Amino acid sequence: MTAPTVSATPLISIAHLEKIYPTRTGDVHALSDVNLDVRDGEFVAIVGPSGCGKTTLLKILAGLTGFTSGTATIAGSPISTPRGDVGMVFQKPTLLPWRTILENVLLPVELHRKVGATEREHALGLLEMVGLRDFADKYPQELSGGMQQRAAICRALVHEPEVLLMDEPFGALDAMTRDALNVEVNRIWRETSKTAVLITHSIPEAVFLAERVIVMGPRPGRIIDIVDIPFGRERALDLLGSSEFADLSSHIRTYFEVTA
Amino acid sequence: MTTQDVQRQPRSTAAARPRNPRAPRRSGNRRTVVSGGVIVAAVILASWQFLPGLTGTPSYVVPALSDVVQALVDPAAFPRYLSNAGTTLTEVLAGLAIGVAIGLVGAILLAQFPTAYAIAFPYIVAIESIPKVAVAPLFVIWFGFGLPSKIVVVVLLAFFPVLVNTIHGIRGVDRDQIELFEANGASRGQIRRKLLIPAALPSIFSGLELAVANAMIGAIVAEFVGAQHGLGVLILQAQGAMQTAAVFALLIILSALGITLNLLVRLARRKVIFWQQDS
Repeated sequence: MTAPTVSATPLISIAHLEKIYPTRTGDVHALSDVNLDVRDGEFVAIVGPSGCGKTTLLKILAGLTGFTSGTATIAGSPISTPRGDVGMVFQKPTLLPWRTILENVLLPVELHRKVGATEREHALGLLEMVGLRDFADKYPQELSGGMQQRAAICRALVHEPEVLLMDEPFGALDAMTRDALNVEVNRIWRETSKTAVLITHSIPEAVFLAERVIVMGPRPGRIIDIVDIPFGRERALDLLGSSEFADLSSHIRTYFEVTA
Repeated sequence: MTTQDVQRQPRSTAAARPRNPRAPRRSGNRRTVVSGGVIVAAVILASWQFLPGLTGTPSYVVPALSDVVQALVDPAAFPRYLSNAGTTLTEVLAGLAIGVAIGLVGAILLAQFPTAYAIAFPYIVAIESIPKVAVAPLFVIWFGFGLPSKIVVVVLLAFFPVLVNTIHGIRGVDRDQIELFEANGASRGQIRRKLLIPAALPSIFSGLELAVANAMIGAIVAEFVGAQHGLGVLILQAQGAMQTAAVFALLIILSALGITLNLLVRLARRKVIFWQQDS
């Protein structure tokens, strides 16, 4: 009764996940005994150093790559191939330069069915939500990096996926654009009530956006801590200055301090 | 393609923003370039006109510009020049059409099937390292003195740059873009149509420009080897008759053809690849 919106079974469920792949210099143990449940509507951030397997984990969730053993399910069904109920945001906007912003946003729909007036209206609504409606007929190269990444978020949402996967989506942007987009992502997450998984290098970004921060360590990639972030659903930039925010950030940072 | 399991390549940090397509790239001050160009052209033409006479060079070695112009517009010869230019142009265009089609289809197939690419690669290199004009006599034996042997030589010279450039273009498509399509459950055909081919267009057009230049060479050389019509035949005839001014006149027609074709390709490139206004 404490959390009535939370369903009994998690939307994403990962258990004993192992990923080993061979390379020329021997096998790489990319993921080791990863266990993670994500509630429907939850925002989870995964932080960790390069090589901790966080991108591999995200690709497994997207169905882009397989795993060696264990289980991974979304909404009860095992992930094996890319699925329609997942939307993905990459580090680069990855917009196609020969398509207008609207055509880019509609791509995931277009791959599966005819795009009609309804779909177009829906896409324009998403662009409206991120303040890009007036740019629907522009080409990506006419937009700034931040605007392009906003459009990429709309593209990830256009087919109304259950899960939104973000792979360091703002890593290539300047700090101010990044802050603004984080506020925007928080709003989009609240308005659309998607389940969100964010991969990031930035501890403050993870703490700012997520309800839980998953801390991963390298060689082999594994979860070393899960930190609850008790700031409620709505986050504003003044949160960044609070002492609680600083405490949580520095707690997570202790895992990555180089001892040498 | 490589397996998806390999760790992601380190990505370039700054998301390189393409230049505003509306902002033209200036190569020097426009007025200076135009006036400088006019002066250089005037100097070249004037030297051509007067140097042979001043240096006492015989006109069968280097004819004066006016002699060349006279040979070009000679009412007795000009219709013959035009009809032979038509023959050469036919060979070039037919050979280009077939060669480009083979190059494109071959590249799309080879780029999609890595095994086939690995098997075909040594043969592609072998074909490329043969000086193809040296094969022209063989084609005349096989296909005769008419159009077919010329078209075959042009095809052989034109398909290769298109093939290689298209393969490079397709294989160079951004990994993230492919994953975007895969993550959204795109079929192979959709990835090909909606991503690989449009993304490879800049490379395809680079190949096409080379193919046009090669096609002109192929047609002329094939005509040298054995033909009844074409600018190559006329050049040989004029040479045999020591009509050097006519040789120059024919070269001018040939250059005009080549320049026109090249301009057409570049114009098409600008129209088709509207999102990339670099060259």
